[in-house]
Amino acid sequence: MNGGEDYKAPRVPLYEGGTQYRHWRFSPEQLADTRASLNAVAVTGIRDAFEADLPGSSSQVSFLHAEEERLLVKLYVGKVTQLCGHFRFPDEVEATAMTYLKRFYLKNTVMDWHPKNVMLTALFLATKTTNHPISLDSYTARIPKTAPSDVLDLEFLVAQSLGFDFAVWHAHRALWGLWLDIQSLPDIPMDDLRRAYDTALTHVRASRLTDAEFVYTPSQIALACLFIASPALASAWLRSKSGQGGDDPALAILEPIRAMITTEGSPPNVEAVREVDRRLKLCKNPEKVPGSNAYNKRLAEKLRKADEKRLRKAEMIRKAMEDGDPFGSALAGQADLDDEDDDDE
Amino acid sequence: MDAVEKANADRQKRWLKDQKIGEGTYAVVYRGREASTGRKVAIKKIKVGQFKDGLDMSAIREVKYLRELKHQNVIELLDVFSSKTNLNLVLEFLDTELELVIKDRSLVFLPADIKAWIAMTFRGLEFCHRNWILHRDLKPNNLLISANGVLKLADFGLARDFADPGYKMTCQVITRWYRPPELLFGCRYYSTAVDIWSVGTIFAELMLRTPYLPGDTDMDQLKTIFRALGTPTEEEWPGHTKLPDYVPVGQFPKTPMRDLFTAASADCLNLLSKCLIYDPRKRISAKDALNHPYFTALPYPTHPSKLPKPAKKESTIPPEEMDGNVEFDGPGPGVKANPPNKLKRKLSSDELGSRPFARRLDFSQHM
Ligand SMILES: Nc1ncnc2c1ncn2[C@@H]1O[C@H](COP(=O)(O)OP(=O)(O)OP(=O)(O)O)[C@@H](O)[C@H]1O
Ligand SMILES: [Mg+2]
Repeated sequence: MNGGEDYKAPRVPLYEGGTQYRHWRFSPEQLADTRASLNAVAVTGIRDAFEADLPGSSSQVSFLHAEEERLLVKLYVGKVTQLCGHFRFPDEVEATAMTYLKRFYLKNTVMDWHPKNVMLTALFLATKTTNHPISLDSYTARIPKTAPSDVLDLEFLVAQSLGFDFAVWHAHRALWGLWLDIQSLPDIPMDDLRRAYDTALTHVRASRLTDAEFVYTPSQIALACLFIASPALASAWLRSKSGQGGDDPALAILEPIRAMITTEGSPPNVEAVREVDRRLKLCKNPEKVPGSNAYNKRLAEKLRKADEKRLRKAEMIRKAMEDGDPFGSALAGQADLDDEDDDDE
Repeated sequence: MDAVEKANADRQKRWLKDQKIGEGTYAVVYRGREASTGRKVAIKKIKVGQFKDGLDMSAIREVKYLRELKHQNVIELLDVFSSKTNLNLVLEFLDTELELVIKDRSLVFLPADIKAWIAMTFRGLEFCHRNWILHRDLKPNNLLISANGVLKLADFGLARDFADPGYKMTCQVITRWYRPPELLFGCRYYSTAVDIWSVGTIFAELMLRTPYLPGDTDMDQLKTIFRALGTPTEEEWPGHTKLPDYVPVGQFPKTPMRDLFTAASADCLNLLSKCLIYDPRKRISAKDALNHPYFTALPYPTHPSKLPKPAKKESTIPPEEMDGNVEFDGPGPGVKANPPNKLKRKLSSDELGSRPFARRLDFSQHM
């Protein structure tokens, strides 16, 4: 680089330095483990909550399994598409909302938070993070039985669950890149390419119902989708990149992606999901049901803790005053970050 | 406690907050430390509860982009966590900003110093542009400077990506004095060149030690630009008279830049003029700018640690300026619409044509 200075700018491509690559890539085994342990922890916790509420009450409950949770989430991931059609949101919003919803349930259980609600918040958040904001009022006005607070109450939780990683790299963008690339190759029949692109795009859309984005990069998914649509064009592109012949190692990775999209890339059986949802009504976390004993207990505990903290702080200030050092280092050193009143001057 | 809540609480515990050091349009900034190492940080606390549309767009943009961008010349976002109804961004602590350096009359700038600041600005910007991100608010007070003199792009509250070509964007971005003519003419399809113009005006400001193109209103801004650089002809900027908000603002002759920038080298003026080319398509890119002979010619850029800097931020400037606020109704650059303590912001949208302003309201528009 120019400028004669003695440091070097990093040259990692943004995707690899970015949050999707660093925080949201897993092996299929890791995904399965994550979901299984999330489910196990949730079941234990909810069982305890039931027992605390009424001893013996949890023995009759049939909790959801990880696979059933996944099915329910998948149903709502698919519903994002309908909702986006209703609002005429662009692909970017739709794909981002679906990613958010899927990521959310790598950190949370449907027994705590029903995907029906989380979906609405994930979509609203996605309109903002992709720079297509609409006002909350006009958003909820067009969704039956939904108040602005239903969406807003979960916004922090969703943002936190995403680890504030708002940027998402999508396969449809990568596919667009391929489309541009291939046009510039010699002897490409444009009609074939156009047709292949459209078909590939439907596969990309189907891939959003699967775990593909957690396992593979957007460009791998895009290439796999193009490969399903037209092996000839996908191979031509690969050859132009690697200068090699047909059995490029890159082709090997496309097969599992293709398999994943073709077996998992359609909406779940509605009857099966309805059954899951019916059971969910009986096993959802009572601590998250306003008005229940467990909910009230938890709330009281929270308030008690906040009170304690306030007292502790008042005591600290009183002590500091006594020591004649009201703004001294002792106090500054302990100031904590969740005061709500410290900047309301 | 839920796992997610707990993870947030754990993150929160990593940071200690000390005193308040500044206030922006939508956030309060505190000095803070990393609990385990004592490392100095800045904690930007954004109140969310007050926004009826939830998390505010500026906060979302800032978090979205800064979480992805890691570069020597871009401010580092170390962590994000929420506390009650606030969103907290933990940023690397930066001692000062270029605006304060420019304003400190006790400092003398050598040509090599200016070269160093501009090189660092272009490096940070090239990284953003390479990654399809427009900053859209470059100005001296958003170029922060670390204790060891390294300049960093900050304040990504107006940034956006432009991977989607031909997507309509708002032209109400960039503080007026640093805003390029195509935006003043209402152009809605623009690109990296808007940021380059801003760098050009900052470059000039570093040499002049006063804003180069300080227009009072949007209309006056165009006049100020044309007075300085001559009214563009159809030949040098084809099609500009067809832009949505085009208005003729008078004919001004071209005067040689040399008349104003008497001490500048030929290379320096050449690069400056390439940043201020009217036709955005012909304006230099950040990448080409970095390869411009100006940066390889003597004198070499000053090492960051040797660059001039104000003795002490707090003591050198009056408090109003420290906050980066301008007179409420004075002839400022149209930075702030609300009085400094009002933390109210509008939902800003690029795509909703009905919302005329993004983040900064502009008084001239109300007249
Ligand atoms: N990383 C940082 N290190 C040290 N001080 C900072 C840092 N970031 C911000 N500040 C201080 O806090 C002030 C407010 O910053 P902020 O970016 O929120 O608003 P601003 O740039 O002044 O105004 P606006 O929101 O209109 O852009 C700054 O002027 C600066 O003095
Ligand atoms: Mg600023």
